[in-house]
Amino acid sequence: MDTKRRTGRQLKSADSAGSGSRAPRLSEVLAESIENIQGELGYSPDLKVRKVEIGVENPVQAAALHLSGLADKTSVNEFVVGSLLLNTDGWAQEYEDSSPDLPALLLSRILEVGEAEVQEDWNDIMLAVLSGDTAILIDGYTLAIICETRGGETRSVEESSSQMVVRGPKDGFVESVGTNVSLIRRRIRSSKLRLEFMKLGTETKTHVAMMYMKEIANEDLVEEVRERLNRIANEEVLESGYLEELIQDKTFTPFPTIYNTERPDVVAGNLLEGRVVVIVDGTPFVLILPAVFTQFFQSAEDYAQRFDIAILMRIVRYVSFIVLLLGPSVYIAFTTYHYEMIPTTLLINLLSQRENVPFPAFVEALLMEGAFEILREAGVRMPRAIGQTVSVVGALILGSAVVEAGIITPIMVIVIALTGIASFAIPAYNMAIAGRIIRFAFLLLAGMFGFYGITLGLIVLVAHMNSLRSFGLPYLSPFVPLSVMDQKDTILRLPVWLMEPGQSPQQIRAEMPEFKQVTSGHESELAPLIKKNENRGKQPKGEGEAK
Amino acid sequence: MGKVKIGLLQFFTLTVLFELGTALVVNLGMNAGRDAWMSILIGCLAGLVMFWGYVYLYRKHPDMPFTAYTRKLLGTTAGTPVAVMYIVLYMNLAGRDLRDGSTMLAMATMHNTPLFILSMLMILSSAYVLHKGLEVLTRTSLMFTIIVLLIGVFSLLLLILSGSIKLFRLLPVLENGIGPVMDSVVHQNYMFPFGEMICFTMLMPYLSDVKKGPWVIAAGMLISALLLSATMALNISVLGADIVERSPLPLMPTISKISISDFIQRVDIFVVMVLIIGVFFKVSVFFAAALIGISELFNLPYRRMVYPVTLMILFTSMLDARSFTEHLNEGGRLLYTVYPLFMIVIPVILIIVTAIRSYFSAPRPG
Repeated sequence: MDTKRRTGRQLKSADSAGSGSRAPRLSEVLAESIENIQGELGYSPDLKVRKVEIGVENPVQAAALHLSGLADKTSVNEFVVGSLLLNTDGWAQEYEDSSPDLPALLLSRILEVGEAEVQEDWNDIMLAVLSGDTAILIDGYTLAIICETRGGETRSVEESSSQMVVRGPKDGFVESVGTNVSLIRRRIRSSKLRLEFMKLGTETKTHVAMMYMKEIANEDLVEEVRERLNRIANEEVLESGYLEELIQDKTFTPFPTIYNTERPDVVAGNLLEGRVVVIVDGTPFVLILPAVFTQFFQSAEDYAQRFDIAILMRIVRYVSFIVLLLGPSVYIAFTTYHYEMIPTTLLINLLSQRENVPFPAFVEALLMEGAFEILREAGVRMPRAIGQTVSVVGALILGSAVVEAGIITPIMVIVIALTGIASFAIPAYNMAIAGRIIRFAFLLLAGMFGFYGITLGLIVLVAHMNSLRSFGLPYLSPFVPLSVMDQKDTILRLPVWLMEPGQSPQQIRAEMPEFKQVTSGHESELAPLIKKNENRGKQPKGEGEAK
Repeated sequence: MGKVKIGLLQFFTLTVLFELGTALVVNLGMNAGRDAWMSILIGCLAGLVMFWGYVYLYRKHPDMPFTAYTRKLLGTTAGTPVAVMYIVLYMNLAGRDLRDGSTMLAMATMHNTPLFILSMLMILSSAYVLHKGLEVLTRTSLMFTIIVLLIGVFSLLLLILSGSIKLFRLLPVLENGIGPVMDSVVHQNYMFPFGEMICFTMLMPYLSDVKKGPWVIAAGMLISALLLSATMALNISVLGADIVERSPLPLMPTISKISISDFIQRVDIFVVMVLIIGVFFKVSVFFAAALIGISELFNLPYRRMVYPVTLMILFTSMLDARSFTEHLNEGGRLLYTVYPLFMIVIPVILIIVTAIRSYFSAPRPG
């Protein structure tokens, strides 16, 4: 089915390319060329045509075309049309005298835009106009001068809403690939940082940027990514998620094998670690690859906080992933199959609660988890004004009423609530979703086989994760295969001076001057005080201040 | 499958889990009474000697599994039936272990679940993992060795804290002389679990290092022997030799002695977990050995044979005995009637053939 569709698409694109070649191209008559372009775009009203005359004695007809909204109005007005109209007399004279190539003259002498080139290919011209560039057509030439005037309205850089930090940079990516590249370049001022552009999507022709650090990133990896991106023959690339699905190693797995982020500092850090970054125009979510399991439990904040705190935060995240996966299923296994393991007083308490509830624990958990998923989905996609209502209805009414109605035991509500909260503690949203899906499988296994099912489920889960690879990198590395040297930034987050490869802390810290004396920097203001101290006796300054 | 090479650490952990397997929870070597721990160690030494025989064969043919060099050494006509017999042996061993495991599970916790369902779940998970490849199996073993060891340390700590360990129960050592210990070694311990290392002859071609590999596996055997021996000593010192002898799964009552201020008690679910993990890896290794043999012998793709072999193992396990007692009796008999043929006699013949061949084909000076 899929192959059929794909070949169909290819046929179609071949067709359109064929009709493109048959379609009217640029003509030497200006009006005809304009007509052709307008016709190609279906006489779209946002295609603006500005006709000008160049020269005074033998004026040459010319026209500047751009799509309003896509092009930056100021640069079109001032630097393209403005410079065409401005002091035409002088150089028109020159033109008539020596009669050189008019477009070349325009390029070299007249146009004030930063980037302009002569383009003869019809498809390229159309693409440029559709990207927001301005095309200058000149009567008598079958070419166009493409001036870079891309602009228009974009969102300004603001804090990313998907990955919050308490401490750390507050800028986030936006929808424009150019801005995003600049946000990264601003962080890594290195000539090793490489940028490659490509256009993906046969219809959307989306700008996709690939960035990596030369000499740090593995050459084979870069080549592999480039190859996989170039193989994409999709019609549409509207979000980095489209690319993610097309270039990831394995489709049938709940686990994400490519990381995405809205944060430039995360991207910069990953670039420096030798990963490749793919930026798609039109989305603030940037892809980072390869991505291994542990990466989804790291947050930008880990590096901003003290290392011991960062380790604590990471352990909390891993624990909450385990709680998310196994919380309800372990509860079911205990209460249904292995109740001898529960301390007696608690067991009596549980049983007295269960007495009023008609369902087995498994059905209870399934009902509650289902309700929770509905609440969560409703909460995410709802207009903000109603959000409050949902949380009130969800938390208060469902939570307590369901217990009072005798459908669910209170302890099950606790378990489900804990699981739900645990799913929010995982920094990567797509990893949390993976956990949420797998949780239901464990629920089923625990309901049918107790701990036996859970253990076998865990074995199969670990085996599955072991079979995954992200661009050749085993998904569970550096745990499996075990590499002790790479444990510095997994569950642990060692102090920065320990993480630098091949350097001793002495080398890194060598530049630090040794502070023997504590000076406050306000000595001049405190002069009388210090004098007094001196008078009192020859005390070291540090001690004096401590007093 | 062809070119996969598996790291040493993964092989080590696979060996450990394979050896611990079912042996960790059963009353291993109890013919020797309270000296069972000693018979395990001696059994391991015997097992290591046997294993070194297999290693000799492996080093002569580092790229071939066992079934391949039987045919090379004995000729196709004699070698092929032998190879087929080995494949049947591996499937049978997998089936027997599956039966062991699921019955023990049924005894321990899952009293009401049909045996067939328990076995099916186990063998299907095993099939899934093997479908992903041998490499995935060995890598998974690394993770679960850590879990098993953590559970071990945790339980030992709790046992010590709850004061249940009475070391005097291990005394007197060698009450009836060395006789019962040797008897236990001859009847059981050199073969179970250490003789079962024969199936590693099928996996060793995937070792990433011909020189160090066998040493790593031998170290795995030794470590697991120490662990098994320590566990048996622990069982006896907690329960006393009498109870251990009569209990089919002595580790369960041992662990259930744990009780700390009435809150942490009955943590025997951990034993069940260890049991499940052990059985899983034991069955999977035999399963893998059978699969490698089949795909090598009949030149079939490895993946295509996974599910047929799954069915065969499942039905072997269900049909080999009418009851668990019969199953155990059968196993006891097989242990010193049939298995020595496969684990000692045939390998010895192969070693002799190899030695003679290499003696005659060796380039002579002058």
